[in-house]
Amino acid sequence: MKDTVTATPQAEIEIEGLSKTFGTGVDAFEALKNISLTIRRGEFFTLLGPSGCGKTTLLRMIAGFEHPTRGTLRIDGRDMGGLGPNQRSVNTVFQNYALFPHMSVADNIGFGLRMLGKPRTEVKATVAEMLTLVRMEQLADRRPSEISGGQQQRVALARALAPRPRVLLLDEPLSALDLKLRKEMQSELKRLQTETGITFVFVTHDQEEALTMSDRIAVMNAGRILQIGSPREIYDQPAERFVADFIGDTNFLTAVVTEAVENRCRVRLPSGAEVEAGVPRGMSPRMGDTVTIVIRPEHARLAEDGALHGRVEESVFFGTDTHITVTLDSGETFTLRRQNAADLPATPGPGARVTIAVARGGTQVLRS
Amino acid sequence: MTLVMPEARPTDHTAQATRRAARRRWLLLAPSLFVLVFAASGPLLIVLLYSFLTPGNFGDVVWQFSTEGWFRVFFARDIFDPESVQLNQAHAAIFWRSISLSLQTTLICAVLGFPTAWFIAMQPPGRREILLFLVTIPFWTNLLIRTFAIQEVIRNQGLINTILLNTGVISAPIQMLYTDFAILVGMAYVFLPFMVLPLYAAMEKLDRRLIEAGYDLYASRWRVMWHIILPLVRPGVIAGSILVFIPAIGAYVTPRVLGGGRNMMLGNLIELQFGQGRNWPLGAALALTLLVIVVVALMFYIRVTSRQEARHG
Repeated sequence: MKDTVTATPQAEIEIEGLSKTFGTGVDAFEALKNISLTIRRGEFFTLLGPSGCGKTTLLRMIAGFEHPTRGTLRIDGRDMGGLGPNQRSVNTVFQNYALFPHMSVADNIGFGLRMLGKPRTEVKATVAEMLTLVRMEQLADRRPSEISGGQQQRVALARALAPRPRVLLLDEPLSALDLKLRKEMQSELKRLQTETGITFVFVTHDQEEALTMSDRIAVMNAGRILQIGSPREIYDQPAERFVADFIGDTNFLTAVVTEAVENRCRVRLPSGAEVEAGVPRGMSPRMGDTVTIVIRPEHARLAEDGALHGRVEESVFFGTDTHITVTLDSGETFTLRRQNAADLPATPGPGARVTIAVARGGTQVLRS
Repeated sequence: MTLVMPEARPTDHTAQATRRAARRRWLLLAPSLFVLVFAASGPLLIVLLYSFLTPGNFGDVVWQFSTEGWFRVFFARDIFDPESVQLNQAHAAIFWRSISLSLQTTLICAVLGFPTAWFIAMQPPGRREILLFLVTIPFWTNLLIRTFAIQEVIRNQGLINTILLNTGVISAPIQMLYTDFAILVGMAYVFLPFMVLPLYAAMEKLDRRLIEAGYDLYASRWRVMWHIILPLVRPGVIAGSILVFIPAIGAYVTPRVLGGGRNMMLGNLIELQFGQGRNWPLGAALALTLLVIVVVALMFYIRVTSRQEARHG
């Protein structure tokens, strides 16, 4: 890796106009539609989307298991067209690990190095190093069937990292683990990524996983990339309804634009109140346009004088906070969260009339 | 065989229940016991008994103990000088031919069956069933008829020689029928499905992602085959080899029809003793020798293959 500081971070993977169609004729299914994407060197990049959105197909294409119908894919500036998975400096951690059942943990980890024809002593040294890295020294001689799911996961990671690939691909690697183990592995993965400096491309349908681990996220649906950005951007400034809906809980309201400047605008809510709202890049709403705005539950609170009025439908106790569902006078449903602090007045019960205030900057216009 | 606890003296009731349970156990075991005693061990014991009797003049046996049958499996006496004993070279040749042809058959079936089974296993599920069905089609026709059909193909005036003669490739027919080659062709043809089916069963279970993982970790096609696919389908290879080797070494019809009288295999030799040879004890001893060869070969084979697996670990 070069230490030169450049204005734009160096690209590791460059994808241009990539499409993939499975089958032909009437059975043809377009899994990926004209994808363009740049993944930077050394970043933790996540492909996020519901199952069937094409994220795994894209990952398999980077790995070399599938070949694009159209478009190009470059890794480290080199066109990957026609190169198989064994000719790319890319390794995969498979969803169900795909450890070789007839080999010991150590032999699994050393497999890639042996196939690369590394000398025996180097293989041995790297395997030992990897075993330490994933804390599996004690279990080197076990078979994959003799270790737990979490341990298998770590072996799969070590096996993929051992040949020191440019890019590590992870296909929903945590989905088979229970919650506690998953949390542990999340920080473990992050640690490994920082320690090795390898570019990680992570596929998941779990929005929380994506938000906590990634440097950048690409949200995908139906074969397209809807938005690429940092977790913060994706969460705070969702460009489309799908993105806003898929990530976190959200309230959608209809509003009319009353004033528009560069990347902010004022909108009038059905209640008559006007609020300021952020505008996604590339969109320029005009006065009088009807738009959909999103307000995250945490940006709203019960107040004496707020922008929204309604009646409490139900309030559900969640321990640290209470989720209150309100039917607004406009007929729209609005959910907010209220911290259960000891010094707050009691939560209004169903039927109570409430007024909701929205935090400044907590409103965002969606691309229609 | 009821278990009685010394402290808790069983009442009549519990004793009855235990007896009932024991009876039910024996009842459930009965079918397998019947098969083991009467169908497996029984005939074997009869063969063992007959191998130690004296042959009768017109077949059958005389109830008189003799080790002559076993002696003649391995040694031959001079007709004019019964005291002059030498190794039975005719038998040795037949043993050797049987073992060698069976091994070659197993090898040919493995070489042909592996890609066949692989091809079928890689097809989409619907087509797999059709192809498997096609593999079993030869079983629909009687073995003897299929063997005669091969004779028709390879005999001097048969299909192959006619084509080669008429196209001028050869000027005189190639003698294929009544050779070891003919036996080999026939046995490979007959036993191939027994190799394909267990191989397919093993390959179908193989997790495709392991193959992908192999490619992902820089293995070439050959190395994926050698380091991942072969070790994982080894149980299928073992099962297929056993299913081919055992019937091949005792084959009777194929060597009889395609090998003629001279190229005998063990099955034919044994039949000869019970038929024209009128030496039942020798036939029985030969049959048991064949059994021992099979058992030893199996043990050796399993030992070797399991060691290979251990080495891989």
